[in-house]
Amino acid sequence: MNRLLLVAVSALTVVIVAGTVAAQDGRGGGRGRGNAPRVALDGPVPRFPDGTVDLGGAWTGGGPVQDMEVQGKFKPGEIPLLPAARKLMESRTPEDDPHAYCMPMGVPRQAGNYPWRFVQYPTHRKATHIFVLWEGNIHSFRQIFMDAMHPADPDPTWFGHSVGKWEGDTLVIDTVGFNDKFWFDRRGHPHTEQLHTIERWTRKDFGHLDNQVTIDDPGAYSRPFTTTYTATLQPGEEIMEYICNENNDYGVAGGFR
Amino acid sequence: MRVTIGIFIIGVALFASGARLAGHHAFSSEYDENKVVTLKGTVTKIEWMNPHAKFFIDVVNPDKSVTSWEFELASPNSLTREGWDRHTLTVGDALTVSGFAAKSGKNMASTRSVTTADGKALFGGTQGVQ
Repeated sequence: MNRLLLVAVSALTVVIVAGTVAAQDGRGGGRGRGNAPRVALDGPVPRFPDGTVDLGGAWTGGGPVQDMEVQGKFKPGEIPLLPAARKLMESRTPEDDPHAYCMPMGVPRQAGNYPWRFVQYPTHRKATHIFVLWEGNIHSFRQIFMDAMHPADPDPTWFGHSVGKWEGDTLVIDTVGFNDKFWFDRRGHPHTEQLHTIERWTRKDFGHLDNQVTIDDPGAYSRPFTTTYTATLQPGEEIMEYICNENNDYGVAGGFR
Repeated sequence: MRVTIGIFIIGVALFASGARLAGHHAFSSEYDENKVVTLKGTVTKIEWMNPHAKFFIDVVNPDKSVTSWEFELASPNSLTREGWDRHTLTVGDALTVSGFAAKSGKNMASTRSVTTADGKALFGGTQGVQ
């Protein structure tokens, strides 16, 4: 009888503890940062059983938003724009930002305070794919083919063709095959279909993820240039639904070109 | 319920960072960060939708006529993270609302802050832009 009681109490404890953890993680349908559990952002980097870095968690940041020059800590004029690209940028106003038309942000731009996730798939053996899921960035996703090759002549797309590999604890993502439609930032830093990006993502500790990104586009910039943006973990945060087109004032109705 | 109208056009200096409040779309194409309106009115409708939630208030003018105003908010997600939910405002609530007026001259504004009848202050914009 006593043993039965012990089992029952133990089971109840497990249920309560599990429920508490779930609530702290926000997995019950997180209600924003007010419920954030106390997590040491400077704690150790989490890993899968095979030692691979676990990039999981809801992140914000990690790329430019408003101005790649300012947020990338470049000196004014240091980004090596070719004359035609500079002229194009100067002709752009925030009103024309494709993202204002609910179009994707491409690479390496990120969606402000809207969280995003890396999803390593599968998890029980070496991942063949890594996905980026965005709440913002028109609620879209990007796929990175691990240990793969680029096709010879990829069709130009908003997120391009991405291949990934691990160099130690750094996820290196090499992307080509971009279209020229998205802007790097709201200021309108441009690019061409020759764009080639190399992102080096390193989880420095539990709560910080560096993205050292190299932009190489001989159609718009006189030389490759590199900077680092840092994403921050948002403990307890969840990706919420965000369907930009629901009632967009421009969007499809406005006829993006 | 007695509602009064007060419109204040306030200078640029205080709100120079207004564009920061924009949601995903181009704030500057629609709203004038130099033109802040503050109104008292009664909620007639709430639209909890993307990319921006909005609500409508009826404002009683000094001559007793009624003007309807539309106030745009941040996205439902951003508002949720600010502590809102879709029941935060309900039809019939008396509010004081401040926002950046539409450039078009229509009775529309991008919400800066909302104060409910019991004095509760709510932030209407996002913390940052996408």
